Amino acid sequence: MQINGVQIDDTFAEAFNMRGTRVLITAQNLKWAYHAANAMTGFATSVIGCGVEAGIERELSMDETPDSRPGVSILMFAMGSKVLMQQLETRMGQCILTCPTAAAFSGIDSDDQISLGKHLRYFGDGYQISKLIQGKRYWRIPVMDGEFLTQETTGMVRAIGGGNFLVLGQSQPQVLAACEAAIEAMQKVPSVIMPFPGGVVRSGSKVGSKYPKMFASTNDAFCPTLKGVVNTELNMDIESVMEIVIDGLTFEDIALSMKVGIEAACSLGSQAGIKRISAGNYGGKLGQHHFKLHEILNGHLSGVAPT
Amino acid sequence: MNALTFTLKTAIQQAVDCRLLTPNALQGKTIAQIQALMLTKTQKVADFFDVVGEDVTHIVFKNTNAQLSYIGHQMNQGTITVEGDCGDFLGSQMQGGTIICKGNAGERLGDSMRRGTILVEGDVGEYCASSMKAGTIGVLGKTGARLGYGMKRGTLLLAHRPIDQATWIDCGIHSLPFLELLFKSFALLDTQFSQLNGIRVQRWMGDVSGLGKAEILVLSP
Repeated sequence: MQINGVQIDDTFAEAFNMRGTRVLITAQNLKWAYHAANAMTGFATSVIGCGVEAGIERELSMDETPDSRPGVSILMFAMGSKVLMQQLETRMGQCILTCPTAAAFSGIDSDDQISLGKHLRYFGDGYQISKLIQGKRYWRIPVMDGEFLTQETTGMVRAIGGGNFLVLGQSQPQVLAACEAAIEAMQKVPSVIMPFPGGVVRSGSKVGSKYPKMFASTNDAFCPTLKGVVNTELNMDIESVMEIVIDGLTFEDIALSMKVGIEAACSLGSQAGIKRISAGNYGGKLGQHHFKLHEILNGHLSGVAPT
Repeated sequence: MNALTFTLKTAIQQAVDCRLLTPNALQGKTIAQIQALMLTKTQKVADFFDVVGEDVTHIVFKNTNAQLSYIGHQMNQGTITVEGDCGDFLGSQMQGGTIICKGNAGERLGDSMRRGTILVEGDVGEYCASSMKAGTIGVLGKTGARLGYGMKRGTLLLAHRPIDQATWIDCGIHSLPFLELLFKSFALLDTQFSQLNGIRVQRWMGDVSGLGKAEILVLSP
C-alpha cells in the first residue's frame, strides 16, 4: 500500500486497556483555562514515569461549559482505576485549585464516579459549602481570589491507550514537519489525546535491555544511527523516525485519529522526504487491541476485520 | 401528563394543613384516594379543593390564600408550584425538590429545611429560613423580622437588602461563580427567577449565635 508515494507497512499498532476520564476546566478567559489545563496535563506523557497520560482534548465555547465561561476539556488515562483516582486528585489540588479563576467540572457520564473535588473540599477548613444543583453536587471552597468552584465527582470509563504510528523519512526536519501536520489534523478528532511533547515522541522503546535493572530500552531496530550494526527495520535512505502515540476513549476514536494523522503526514509525500509509515507492536502478545494500518486506511475503523 | 392541580374552592378563613399534599406523600395514589385524604379531623381534600391531573411529581396549587400552611412539608422530590399566596411553614423540613411560590408566603418559610430549593416571587413573613440546615431559598420581595433565625447552613438569595441583624456578619460584595450554575437551573423553571443573571452579590454569614455557616446573598441591583 502506498499513499502519495509513501509506503504503508502491513503491520499494526498494539494498544492496551486503560481507565480514562474527562474534566472540563474553565476560567475567566481562555488564557487562564490553558494555564490550568497545561499544568494539569503537564508531566503526563507516559504511564511508565508519570502515572497518567494526559492532554488537552479541545477548546470549549462558552455555551458548552457548565458555568458559561471559556474552557478546555482534558482527558486523562491510567493503567488502573486506583492510579487514575490518585493522580486526578493530586493534579486537581496542585494545578486547578491553585490556578486563579479556574473551576473544574465533570466531562463524562459513567456509573463509575471518581473524586474531583470530593476530598479537595477539606482545604476549605470548615468554610467549604456544598451545593446540589440539578442533581449534581458542587463544592465552593473559599480561596484568596474569591471562591474555587468544583464538581464533586467525574465519570471514569474503560479506555484504550497506546495507539501509534511511526513516520520514517529522509531527514529529521522533514519527519518533524510531517508529524506536525499529522498532529494538527489529529487535534480536530474528539475523544483522543497525543500525550507526548507536541504530540510526538522520538524515543520509542523496546521491551528489555542488556542492563538487568532496565525493563525497557531504546528501540534500536528503528534507530537510524545503528542501521549497520543491529537487526534494523530501516532502509538505507531513512535518517530519522518519530512516533505519534494516541490514547482515546474507544477503538473507533483512536482508529479515526490514526487515519487522519497518517493521511496528513503522507500529504507531504515522498517528494518531501517522507518514505514510510509503520507502527509499534510487541508481536501482538501484550496488548488487547490491534490497529492494523491497512484496514484503518481503507476506512475500517471498528476493529472488526472486513469479510 | 398534566400536573396534579389543587384548586381551592372557596376562600377559607381557618388555616388548613397541606402537608399531605407533596409529591412523595401522594406517590402511587389515585385521584379518588387523594380526594378522600383527611386534611382536618372532619374534612377531606375534596371538601377544600377541586383536584385534576395525574403527574404527582409536579403539584400545582391554584386560587390559593394565606391560610394554606405546611405546603411542601418534608417534601423530598418533584416540584410544587403555588400560583398565589400561601401560609406559614412553606417547605418546612424539606428534604429535596423545588417549590415555587408566585405570591407571598407566610412565616417560618423553609423552617429546618435540609435540602432542595424554595423560590418565592413575593414577600415572606417573619422567621424566614429559621433553623435551616442546608438548601437554597430565594425571595424576590421583602423579608420579615428575624430573617435566618438560628440558620446553620444553606443559602438565602434575596433581591432586597434585609434589615441589619447583630447575628449576621457582612462579608462584603463578591462575584460568586456558583451562581451562574444556579441561575442556569432556574432558567428551566416557570418563574421570575429564570430572569436572574448577575452573579455579583453582597454576602452575610450567620446566624453566628449558632453554627454561623449559612449565607445571605443580596443580588446587586
